[in-house]
Amino acid sequence: MGGRAIVVTSGKGGVGKTTATANLGLGLAREDRKVVMIDGDIGLRNLDLIMGLENRIVYHLLDVVRGRCQVRQALIKDKRFPNLSLLPASQVDQKEDISPEQMRDLTAQLKEDFDFVLIDCPAGIEQGFRNAIAGANEAILITTPEVSPVRDADRVIGLLQQSIGDPRLIINRMNPEMVKKEQMLNQSDVLEILAVPLLGIVPEDEEVVIAGNSGAPVVLNERSRSGQAYRRIVQRILGEDVPIPELNGNVGFIQRLGKLFFGR
Amino acid sequence: MAWTFVQKLFGAKGSKGEAKNRLQVVLVYDRLGLSADQMDALRKDIMETISRHISIDPEGVKIDFQHEHSLPEVVINAPVRRRAAS
Repeated sequence: MGGRAIVVTSGKGGVGKTTATANLGLGLAREDRKVVMIDGDIGLRNLDLIMGLENRIVYHLLDVVRGRCQVRQALIKDKRFPNLSLLPASQVDQKEDISPEQMRDLTAQLKEDFDFVLIDCPAGIEQGFRNAIAGANEAILITTPEVSPVRDADRVIGLLQQSIGDPRLIINRMNPEMVKKEQMLNQSDVLEILAVPLLGIVPEDEEVVIAGNSGAPVVLNERSRSGQAYRRIVQRILGEDVPIPELNGNVGFIQRLGKLFFGR
Repeated sequence: MAWTFVQKLFGAKGSKGEAKNRLQVVLVYDRLGLSADQMDALRKDIMETISRHISIDPEGVKIDFQHEHSLPEVVINAPVRRRAAS
């Protein structure tokens, strides 16, 4: 019962759950914590790809649950951080092939050996979601500042409150320019609607796409804005009081000069 | 539609207010989790209760959920009929 089991969820697909899980996992490993990430998206696995570990999968989650191998055999150690492991999902099975009880047992087992068990939840609120949250003690909710992800996030909050409690919110892909023009919901709008604690804000960043291309998440990129946001979020998960800057598009004088002369 | 055009014409603010309002309305219903059947049952009960005391137009009864203040509220609109000449 040593570690913390945190599920990363969103309701809506495509808002950045897997990317967030990869960045938080790597970020916590950078801080010398022992971390295991579970890809809970059975049938549509992607965490391996985002992490750049896709070529090293031998066994997966379902093999472990069915007793075909030991947990240790299925874990892929990250070469960048040996204290970080991935338990990949099966690509051929279905969400219904594993039960919440089995996930709870597996998570409990991993918590004994790791400081953090991060569970990447699939989109939706069906069995895959129930499995992913079954063993978690905490939840992180990802949304983007758009109407449908926020609506779905609200639904997920209602479901999480029945089991884990209030999730902590990450607002992903915030575009400061659009916020400034009031074309996008800002931080306080989203918090007023969802009424859960804020864990962090990740700005929209092309680097995330580039990071995905090469399997090297942005948290490792010292120059990336979103990478910096993830590093701050990691500090907050570790209990440090790091302020959350409001992304309202009010650029400083120097940046404005830069924009004027160099167009960036 | 026309108002949006006027707003654009005068360089008024973007559409995030619209997003927020629409979300707040839709979430009141989502959070209640009321099905269409349950809404009909509620409407019927309210109509019957009011009709026991005052004469109303059953066709005109409207039930809305609003989120204009800090808490969501249910607004019931029931047109009252004139008392029939006795």
